Amino acid sequence: MHKTDNILLKIHNLTTGYSLSRSKKVALHQNVNSEVGKGEFIALLGPNGAGKSTLLKTLLGIIPSLDGNIYYNGDNLHEMSKKEIATLVAVVLTDKIEDRYLTSYDIVGTGRYPYGSFIGKLTDVDKEKISNAFKLVDAEELITKVFYSLSDGEKQKVLLARAIAQDTPLIFLDEPTAFIDSPGKVIIMNLINDLVLVHNKTILLTTHDTELALEYATKLWLLGKENYFEEGAPKTMVEAGMINKLFIRKGIIFNVKSKRFEMG
Amino acid sequence: MISNKHTTLLFLILPILIVLLFMLNIWYGSVSISWLDAWDTLLLNDNVSNSSKIIIIQYRLPQAITALSVGIGLSIAGLLLQTTFTNPLAGPSVLGISAGASLGVALVVLLGGIGGVKLVGNSVLFGDMAIVLASFTGALVVLTIIVFVSRKVGNAVTVLIIGIMIGYLVSAVVGTLQFFSSSEDLHAFILWGLGSFSKTTITQSVSIFVITIAISLVTILFIKPLNAFLLGSQYAVSSGFNVKLMQSVFILISGFLIALGTAFTGPIAFIGLAVPHIARTIFRTSNHAVLLPAVILIGAALTLGCNLVSKLPGYDASLPINAVTSMVGAPIVIWVIIKGRSMSNA
Repeated sequence: MHKTDNILLKIHNLTTGYSLSRSKKVALHQNVNSEVGKGEFIALLGPNGAGKSTLLKTLLGIIPSLDGNIYYNGDNLHEMSKKEIATLVAVVLTDKIEDRYLTSYDIVGTGRYPYGSFIGKLTDVDKEKISNAFKLVDAEELITKVFYSLSDGEKQKVLLARAIAQDTPLIFLDEPTAFIDSPGKVIIMNLINDLVLVHNKTILLTTHDTELALEYATKLWLLGKENYFEEGAPKTMVEAGMINKLFIRKGIIFNVKSKRFEMG
Repeated sequence: MISNKHTTLLFLILPILIVLLFMLNIWYGSVSISWLDAWDTLLLNDNVSNSSKIIIIQYRLPQAITALSVGIGLSIAGLLLQTTFTNPLAGPSVLGISAGASLGVALVVLLGGIGGVKLVGNSVLFGDMAIVLASFTGALVVLTIIVFVSRKVGNAVTVLIIGIMIGYLVSAVVGTLQFFSSSEDLHAFILWGLGSFSKTTITQSVSIFVITIAISLVTILFIKPLNAFLLGSQYAVSSGFNVKLMQSVFILISGFLIALGTAFTGPIAFIGLAVPHIARTIFRTSNHAVLLPAVILIGAALTLGCNLVSKLPGYDASLPINAVTSMVGAPIVIWVIIKGRSMSNA
């Protein structure tokens, strides 16, 4: 699956973190190196506060990196405009959308903003991409509905449709299955998996649904506190007990055979 | 969501309403002028009595044009600020820009009096222009600070809080100046603070109108980033926009419109806050492709309506415009919020 000549994203000696002031910086992870190839499904796992969202947003250029470089198709993120980045990576974030009037169609329409006309009139191509996106996530009945009135699961489908309509090779998702009931989680993960298998997208997602992620991901990025970053194939990492080590809680262990967290 | 037909109909009705209110503003006043005379004066026909012509050209027409233009400007400003800060309570008064204008005026009117230099009263023309310039300068100084902060900080909530704090700070200085000034100067300053559309000449009012329309047209270029801001700043970045830059542009546009209006009319309450809410409720959308033209039309209509109400007592002294806009604006905002609430609960 992993083809080295098809590198979409290259992370080189990256340091993520945040600045408290001009001189005081707090690094979460230092010297992270990785490559993401076309068609990969990467699950970014780690305990709360490990810095999963920070890494994801650093890769998007929403949070500045403290050191190192990020390359998309060989171009340095620092030198790319927000518009250029938007044609390569689409996102689904955890931010709440508070507006009470926007319809699902309006929301998905913003996915077409990196392209096309200056004042925002949607072209026929835009309209086609939007309706295809709704079809892909099986949410055509939501098109005219007000986004604010939807359930969390429906909202997540619409946001996924927005990312699909953006027509990018990469899609990053921050906890796409949080706040969704169990069948909903499976539906969302299946949709994301279809994007990889059928539509040749490359996925990077953070999640706390470890068991679900292990079923779909082709690669894991494990992120822990104290600068811990490891990547590898899910099977290898599970068998090496790395999941267990990552989530150290008293009395809870990750059962390698059943791939579940259990009371030890 | 409402149908396109419904939207089109509203966009036909509103301009008719504006023309009607505009004509009422020209026709109605303490001196009665016939419809025919009012109409003939506007068409520059000669068969009108000189006194009617003077009243209309020198007083009522500039007042109506100023009301309409400032209504448009403040409404656009309110919309841009509410979208930029994703805060329904944002409006022209929150960033301290009106407060900056009032400091400028206070320095001229009150400090002039304290220093023994009479700027207002002695020469009416110079006094009025001094107030306009002082107000505009004061507003622009605060605006510059806010834009600078916005470029540095980026975080919308922080910018909003700093804007409100600057407003308090400036008001405190104005309060101190008031304490030390004579009752005569204080009276002049308070009059300015009550707001009035009747202080402009015909040339000034037309200039305000042209500038306001020009800026409105520029704003249309930003429909896409404005819509993207509705999803929050991180989604706006992901849609390909430089959020920090856009935020500064929106603050600059709205700040300039507020400075322009306040300079000539004094601070006008509630229009900038209320009109975007009315537009969203009537058109049932947040899409700026609809909202921008909507706030322009509703802002013009509402301000003309308020100006008409302020003339209702019928004698020389009309009601202070701020009293009218507040009495009309506050209930509307309350109604909109309650209606919005019941809708989202349903």
